Amino acid sequence: MRYLYKALTALGSYQAQRVMGIATLATLLATVVIGLFIVPPDATQGDVQRLMYVHVPIAWVTFMSFGVTFLASVGYLITKRIQWDRVAAASAEIGVGACALTIVLGSLWGRPVWGTWWTWDPRLTTTAVLLLIYVGYLSLRKVADSPARRAKWSAVLGVIGFIDVPIVHESVVWWRSLHQQATVLRLGAPTIAASMLATLLLGFVAFSLAYGYLMAVRLRVGRLEDRSSVPVSSLSAPRASRPRAAGISTTSIPTSVGSDGHA
Amino acid sequence: MHNAGYVAAGYSLTLVTLVGYRWLLTIRTRRAREYVSTITRRSRDKRRRS
Repeated sequence: MRYLYKALTALGSYQAQRVMGIATLATLLATVVIGLFIVPPDATQGDVQRLMYVHVPIAWVTFMSFGVTFLASVGYLITKRIQWDRVAAASAEIGVGACALTIVLGSLWGRPVWGTWWTWDPRLTTTAVLLLIYVGYLSLRKVADSPARRAKWSAVLGVIGFIDVPIVHESVVWWRSLHQQATVLRLGAPTIAASMLATLLLGFVAFSLAYGYLMAVRLRVGRLEDRSSVPVSSLSAPRASRPRAAGISTTSIPTSVGSDGHA
Repeated sequence: MHNAGYVAAGYSLTLVTLVGYRWLLTIRTRRAREYVSTITRRSRDKRRRS
């Protein structure tokens, strides 16, 4: 847990962000060019299968985001450190965007292949439920009246909500589904051609980097927004009398910021 | 390219979402930074006057 936070803090420095931003751009560009123009089209589905190179990695980012939210929520419930709450909120926000994008991309892929934009298939339905759970998570964060209560309530939901992630992944195995089964994360060898698999893996790298980059920026915004909600009286107080960053009080949010020194 | 519209829409939407979210974070950073500097300045002035 401590290592996860250390890794996220290291990603928060401007230099790391810059490098990650450039790497994200380069790998995204490579994924788009290779996915659209170089890899051959699928024998059955034709060119529309090219949507796989963005749809599947974004679904992976969704799972990763909610996984980080789960870990950070557990971290908050154990340690009561506000930093964990910030990590959980940042990751959930990115996860909600990725989950919505996964559904839309799946819909764009489903229309020409299945003949419908949407169907109440187990994979689609459980993914829609996942989106609703985390939209609820973000809404809950808006309605809580104190930072401590907000952090506690959302940490509980962040833990409970994660139960749906394995259900989404296994839904194609447990129930009869229109959605295809796992082709990469399965027992035995992947069932797709090597060139398609390589492009898909490049997509995973590109979108994982994009997640890391957006997380680093979002964490900085989170620290700043927490600072901007500190009462004026506490800002004018001498530095020594400020509350410690490690704890959280119901009356004010810690004013100290991350180790990058920018926020 | 068959069904090119769906593919183009999917890729465009993905890139627009990524760029849009990054832009939104820039706006939020700027707003929070302005707010923090304003209240810090205001409280410093108040302390000086008192």
